[in-house]
Amino acid sequence: MEKMILPGEVVWGREVSASGTYLHEGKTYATVMGMMREEKFIPLQMTYKPKVGDNVVGIVVEERRAGYSTDLNLPYNGMIPTRKVRITLDMGGMVYGKIAWVDEVGNVDIGEVDRLPPGKIITVPPSKVPRIIGKKSSMLNQIREKSGCSIFVGNNGYIWIGTRGNVPLVLKAIRLIIENAHTSGLTDVVAKYLEDNK
Amino acid sequence: MGGSADKPVLFQDGKRIDGRALDELRPLKIVAGVLKEAEGSAYVEWGGNKVICGVYGPRECIPKHDANPYKALMKCRYTMSPFASLEEHGRSGPNRRSTEISKVIKEAFDSVVMTGEFPKTQIDIYVDVLQAEGGTRIAAIAAATVALASAGLPMKDMISSVAVGKVDGHLVVDLGKAEDNFGESDMPIAFKHRSKEIVLMQMDGRLTPEELGANIDAAIEGAEKVYALQAEALRKSYEVTEKQEFRM
Amino acid sequence: MGEEMREMVLQEVQREMLSNMLAQGKRMDERQKYDYRKVTVQKGVLTTAEGSALAQIGDSKVLCSVKFGEMTPFADRPTEGVFMVMAEFLPLASPTFEPGPPSPYSIELARVVDRGIRSAEVIDTKGMFIEEGKVLAIFIDLYVMDHGGNLTDTAALAAAAALADTKVPNVVDGKIVRGDYKGPLNLPDKPLTCTFIKVGDHLLLDPLREEERAAECQLTVGTVDGYIVCMQKSGVGSLKKSEVMECVDVALRKGNELRDYV
Repeated sequence: MEKMILPGEVVWGREVSASGTYLHEGKTYATVMGMMREEKFIPLQMTYKPKVGDNVVGIVVEERRAGYSTDLNLPYNGMIPTRKVRITLDMGGMVYGKIAWVDEVGNVDIGEVDRLPPGKIITVPPSKVPRIIGKKSSMLNQIREKSGCSIFVGNNGYIWIGTRGNVPLVLKAIRLIIENAHTSGLTDVVAKYLEDNK
Repeated sequence: MGGSADKPVLFQDGKRIDGRALDELRPLKIVAGVLKEAEGSAYVEWGGNKVICGVYGPRECIPKHDANPYKALMKCRYTMSPFASLEEHGRSGPNRRSTEISKVIKEAFDSVVMTGEFPKTQIDIYVDVLQAEGGTRIAAIAAATVALASAGLPMKDMISSVAVGKVDGHLVVDLGKAEDNFGESDMPIAFKHRSKEIVLMQMDGRLTPEELGANIDAAIEGAEKVYALQAEALRKSYEVTEKQEFRM
Repeated sequence: MGEEMREMVLQEVQREMLSNMLAQGKRMDERQKYDYRKVTVQKGVLTTAEGSALAQIGDSKVLCSVKFGEMTPFADRPTEGVFMVMAEFLPLASPTFEPGPPSPYSIELARVVDRGIRSAEVIDTKGMFIEEGKVLAIFIDLYVMDHGGNLTDTAALAAAAALADTKVPNVVDGKIVRGDYKGPLNLPDKPLTCTFIKVGDHLLLDPLREEERAAECQLTVGTVDGYIVCMQKSGVGSLKKSEVMECVDVALRKGNELRDYV
């Protein structure tokens, strides 16, 4: 594999603003493990910080006056403000939405909320989510197609999988992606895997 | 520093009690990502030390009133198993010694982890010494750095650590148990890798300022070797595609 | 969010999903209902203890140390040695394990493993007399290092393997000589446990963490070759007699397969 860069190592000899790095005395240093691909720093593992516009999967855990308190696999629950949703949600209900607002201490509001039917939620490292989705959803779509499962992926590391279809195949494919997230040509590898294990 | 009554011969023919050269480390094995549940983890065998470390967080701060609105609260719990030493079966759980060690380890990592990114949360470093043979806090730090990096927690720098000391008048690196017990001084020390700034330092024994300076220089060199193995462990955790079986 | 809260919600969420899959005859990792995950046992992993083993079932990891000590015998059995089983759920093993005094779960686990060893009568406590007012003690420590489900069977396996690895230290002038051994511990049998969970009408052996979350209750059956030596039902829910008999039948069979790893 390409050379791995560790926290504290120089990424660029100049100041470049990039995820997983910090600037110090005119240089750019890594804060997490990563590698260079096409002049870009790709973090291999990074603690998730919610950003406005991120897609998230969540589980409603409490109904409050202001809205639904929702588990997002984050240190603190996110909020679905009552005034923003038309649907009613139940405790334990699963939702898919977008992060609408984040404050400086990490409080989160979720917007554009859709209710998900009962299904399985699994947790994956959020830094691997982009690979699970793939370019223009290519990876995700081929898993959906070959397994016959309905799947929603949140940037927060929660993945919802519907009960119909070949769920174990989805789980195995996702595991394969996570373990090989740093390698190239992964879409083809997974395509073959799905075909062989259908 | 123990009494001299039953002191073993620590030096013979220019070699240390276990046959090492003055600046030679004991065998050191580091494996990253050994635990499934923890967000980051590492297993270290350093001489006769066997240490496992798991990292959780950032997660909800408990109790809530400890939460800092500007940064994550770093916590460390270092403990020694009741079966860690050859002598009698000990008590499990924290004691005064482990509480102090937990504190200095926590402070070392608080100086590199970018806690400001995660206000109101806590980050837990759990280190358990399964077997001990001198220098457990150093082994704990080696494991914790790798565990934090494997968790993807942002850090300004990696930390590497080693103990140096004076044994029968010689400056030695990476003290074993007998050297630790019967030597004249023992100094565990941890550095930020890039800047070589010291983030942990404890010393007991007797040293002149000149000796101290030489000790620090020797420690920097020793820590560099530890760093190379830490980096190797992290790299390996990505190179292997087959899940490796955990072995002690 | 708080780990306990998360657990409670996940439990409810997973239960329906799991029942759905089981109705289709599927387990999450595609195992048959009475299959174990990959089992590995590594003996002699500690040099500071008289016996040790690391057992892994799937992702669960339990380290067991067997260490000898000296102690005053109990008043009612002045010539008999003592052994005790303790379990430590290390906080690094799961986000739900917190530092602090032993939880009811860790006490239950230690006591179930203890009962298996005790009722199988594999440790000869009468042979542990040193001198008047002094006997040998055996400390069996179970260190849970990673919680991938079914800790009980993993712990019992670690304990049996560690006992099989144990060397009895020499005693000179009423004191243990560390590192000097009389010979291996006589271990006439290897007590192990098989744990089942009940989800709906289904019984599953060797539950995953997520399956445990969804379980109504669980039943642990401790065996030696041909005999049941301990049982423990835990969790909220009930079992029919026929289900218990089914578990026992499977446990006697699977227990023997597991014993090959020890």
